[in-house]
Amino acid sequence: MYLQTTTLSETISGLLGLDGVIGDVVGGLVGAFLVANIMLIMTAFAGPWAKRKITAAFGDRIAVNRIGPFGLLTIVTDAVRLLSKELIVPEGVDRPAWDIAPMVIPFSALLGFAVIPMGNGIQLADPETGLAFAFAVASIASLGIVMTGYASNNKFSLIGALRAVAANIAYEIPLVITAASVVIFTGSLRMSEIVAVQAEPLVSVAGITIPTWFAFVNPFAFALFMVANLAEIGRNPFDIPEAPTEIVAGYQTEYSSAYFVLIYLGEFIHIFLGGALAATLFLGGPAGPFLPGFVWFVIKIWAFFLFTQWARSAVPRLRVDQFLDIGWKGMLVLSFANLVLTAIIVGVIA
Amino acid sequence: MSLEEQQPDDDPAELEAAVSRGDELAELLGDLVIGREEHMNAPGLVVRPDEVQEALFKLRDEAGFDHLSCLTAQEYEDRYESIYHLTSFDDRTDEVSVVVPTSKDNPVSQSAEPVYRTADWHEREAYDLVGIQYEGHPDLRRILLPETWQGHPLGLDYDQERPQIATLREHANPLEKDQRAEQGNTMYVNIGPHHPATHGVLHVETVVDGEQVVDLNPDIGYLHRCEEQMCQQGTYRHQIMPYPDRWDYISAGLLNEWAYARAAEDLADIDVPEYAQIIRTLGAELCRIASHMIALGTFALDVYGDFTAIFMYAMRDREIVQNILEDLTGQRMMFNYFRLGGVVWDLPEPREEFFEKIRDFLDGLPEALEEYHDMITSNEILQARTVGTGVLPPEVAKSYGATGPVARGSGIDYDLRRDDSYGYYDELDWDVVVEDGCDNFSRLLVRMREVEESAKIIQQCVDLLEDWPEDERNIQSNVPRTLKPDEDTEIYRAVEGAKGELGIYIRADGTDKPARFKIRSPCFSNLQTLPEMSEGEYIPDMIASLGSLDIVLGEVDR
Repeated sequence: MYLQTTTLSETISGLLGLDGVIGDVVGGLVGAFLVANIMLIMTAFAGPWAKRKITAAFGDRIAVNRIGPFGLLTIVTDAVRLLSKELIVPEGVDRPAWDIAPMVIPFSALLGFAVIPMGNGIQLADPETGLAFAFAVASIASLGIVMTGYASNNKFSLIGALRAVAANIAYEIPLVITAASVVIFTGSLRMSEIVAVQAEPLVSVAGITIPTWFAFVNPFAFALFMVANLAEIGRNPFDIPEAPTEIVAGYQTEYSSAYFVLIYLGEFIHIFLGGALAATLFLGGPAGPFLPGFVWFVIKIWAFFLFTQWARSAVPRLRVDQFLDIGWKGMLVLSFANLVLTAIIVGVIA
Repeated sequence: MSLEEQQPDDDPAELEAAVSRGDELAELLGDLVIGREEHMNAPGLVVRPDEVQEALFKLRDEAGFDHLSCLTAQEYEDRYESIYHLTSFDDRTDEVSVVVPTSKDNPVSQSAEPVYRTADWHEREAYDLVGIQYEGHPDLRRILLPETWQGHPLGLDYDQERPQIATLREHANPLEKDQRAEQGNTMYVNIGPHHPATHGVLHVETVVDGEQVVDLNPDIGYLHRCEEQMCQQGTYRHQIMPYPDRWDYISAGLLNEWAYARAAEDLADIDVPEYAQIIRTLGAELCRIASHMIALGTFALDVYGDFTAIFMYAMRDREIVQNILEDLTGQRMMFNYFRLGGVVWDLPEPREEFFEKIRDFLDGLPEALEEYHDMITSNEILQARTVGTGVLPPEVAKSYGATGPVARGSGIDYDLRRDDSYGYYDELDWDVVVEDGCDNFSRLLVRMREVEESAKIIQQCVDLLEDWPEDERNIQSNVPRTLKPDEDTEIYRAVEGAKGELGIYIRADGTDKPARFKIRSPCFSNLQTLPEMSEGEYIPDMIASLGSLDIVLGEVDR
C-alpha cells in the first residue's frame, strides 16, 4: 500500500524537530526546494541531452557525444552558453508582462508537482482536491503564453499565443473530463487515494497479480487522456502553438537567453507534469515491482517523455482548423461518452 | 539577324520543316507579321510592339501554342527586342519565337500578361534587367533588383562602375506596410526572408485574415547573383560551364550543366559521342534522385515540424547518391563535369567497384522508398494535410508555365526527356510519371515515383556502360579550342531539370562569348503559381504548397 500517512513537508519538519507554524513553513519550503530541484535536474537531462539523443536515434544520427561520457557534459556547456547569451529586448515590447511571462510558464508547471505522490514518501501536500489543484495550476501556463504572445509585439508570437489558447480550451476539457472518469472509480480527488485504489489486485494470472491500474481497467480512457495530454503539452501532431515551419517559433519567437531558457524549462516541466498525471491517474503512481517507488515514478514519466519525442519525430502536424475539429468534435464527444459509460458501469457494479 | 544573312548549321530537313511551319504561322497571323527571322530552334515572327497580344492570342488559340516557355529581352545597337519563346505542352518540338522589336527612344511594348499569366514575372524581369516597358502590365515593378536600383544592368549603356546609392529611408519602407486601410480587418505578415520554411531567402508578403491567407506576393531577388551577366562575360568553351552548378545548387548540378551543354552544342554544331551521352544520362538521373530526396525531406519538414525522422532518412539515402556523384565527378555540389562535346573524364577506376556501388544503391532503393511510403504517403494525418490542399488546376498551371513535377502533379503529361528528347533517353525504357490530383499530395507522389523511374534509367545506363567495348570509350568529341559561333545565330534549348524545364537562350555575335545569355528557370515560373494555390487557404497549407513546389532560390533569382 502506498497510502501516504505523512507528507514530505511533515517528514522534514519532524526530522528537524520543529512543529507548529514554524515547522510547517520550514518543512514546506525545504520540501518544495527538494521537489523543485528533482524536477529541474530531470529537465536538465531532458532538454539539452536526452531530447537530442532521442530524436537522433529516431533519425539515424548520433547527436552529442564529444563532451563527457555519452556527451553528458553538454548539459553544462549548454547551460553556460544559454545563460551567457545576450538578452535581446525588442523594441515596443510590453513590459513588465514580457518579463513576467517566462517566469509564469515554468512555475505553473512546477506547482503541479506539489500534489503528485512520487513514492517513498515524497509528496509535498496531499489536499482533498489534489487532482483539481494539479489541473488548475497547470492551466496557468496558458496565461503566461498569452502574455508572451501579446507582449512580444510580434505577429508570429500573437498567432502562436492565439493558437495556444484555442488549443488549451479545446483540449483541457476532454483532459479533465477523462480524468473525472477515474475519479468515479476512486470517489476521491485526493492523489494518494487515487494511487491507493490502483494498488488493489485486478486479476491474478499464473501467480502474477495485475493491479487495478486504470490503464488496464479502462484503456479507452487512458488513450483519450494521452492524446489530450499531447495536445496540452503541445507536441506533434499537436504542436500548433509553436509550429516552427509555419509561425517561426510561435509565442516564444522574441525570447532569447535566460528568458528562452525559462520558457523551454516550462515546456519540459510541463511534459513531465503531463507524464506524472498520466502515471498517477492511470499507471498506479509510483507502484511497481522490485524497485523503489520513486524509481518507478521516474521511469514512468520518462517513458511519457519518450512517447512525446517519438510522436514529434514520426507524426505530421495537423492544421490548426483540423486540430480544433478533432478537439471539439472528436475528443470532447468521446470523453463525455467515456464519462457517462464509466458512471453507468460503476453504478451498476457497485 | 535577317533571314538572308543567316546560315545556321542545322540539319537541312529540320530547317526546312521549321521554315514551312514558319510560313504556316505567318499565314495565320497575316498582316500582324512584319518580318521574319530564323532561330536555330524555331521560326521567328516579327510583330509590331502594339500588336503583341493579338498575335499571341491567335497563336495560342488557333495554333495551339499554350506554353510561353520563356521571354528573352535584349538590347541591340539600334533597338530593344523581346522574344517570346512559345511552344506547346502537347508537342514540345513545335516551337515559334515571336520577336517584338521596340525603338531605342521609346522602348514600350504591349504586355503578354493577358495571354499567358507567366508573362507577369518574365516581363517584370525584362523591365528590371533590360529596361523594356510593357504597356498594360498589371504591376510593372522591378523583380530581382531593389526598388531603388538605378539603371538596367543588361542594357548596353549601363555603367557598372557607378555606385548604387539607396538611402536607408528608401529601404525601410517595404517591411512596414500598413494594410488596415485597404484590406480591412486583416494582418500583414512578412514570411521570410528569414523564416524556417522558405527554403532560402524568399520573402512572402502575406496578408492574413485570422489564419487564412487573403493576399500573397512572393518577393524574390535576395539571391540574385547576375548569373546571366557572368555567363555573357565567359567564353563558350571553358568559362561558362561552372556557372550552371550554382543555379539549382541542391545537387541538381549535372542537370543544369546539361542545359548549357545542349544549347551550346546545338549552337556550335558539336556532336557528343554516344558513350559520353550515356555517362551524362547516368549522372543527370543520379542528380535527379538526389534532388527529389531533398524535396521529399524538406516537404516532410514543412508538414511535420522540426526534428523529423523522415528528413534524416531522405538525407541518409541522398548521401549515398552524393558519394556516387563524388566518385564520378570529384565534387559533391559544384560538379563542373560536363564539357562541350562530352564529359571531362571517364568513369572512375576500378569501374567494377563503381558499378557495384551504384547497383548496391539501386538494390536498396525500393526498400527505402517503401519506408518513405510507410512514413509519409500512407500516413493519414499527412493525407489530411496534403490531399486537396494547394490545388493547381492544369489550365492554370499551363498558363503560368509550370513545368516539371509541379506540372506533372497537375496531370500535365509533359517531360522534355521524352517530348524533346536529348542525351540517351529515347533509347531507354522508362515512363513519364503523371498524377492528376493537382494538389500537394500529387506533387509529392510524382517526385517519389520519379525516383523509381530514374533508378530504372540508371540501371540501364550501368548495364550499357559495363558492356561498352574498351576501345570505344570516347568521352569527348573534338571541339575547337576557341568557339566562335556565327554572328546573329540565336538558339533556345531546354532540358528537363530537377524542377522542370530549364532553358537557355544564347545569341552569338561572332566572338567567343555570348552576346546574350538568358536562363529560363523552372523554379521562377513554378513559384508564380504560389498565390494561385494559397489564397483562401490556411498559413500551414501555404507553407506546404511552397514546400511542394520545391523551389531553390539560387535558381529563382539566378
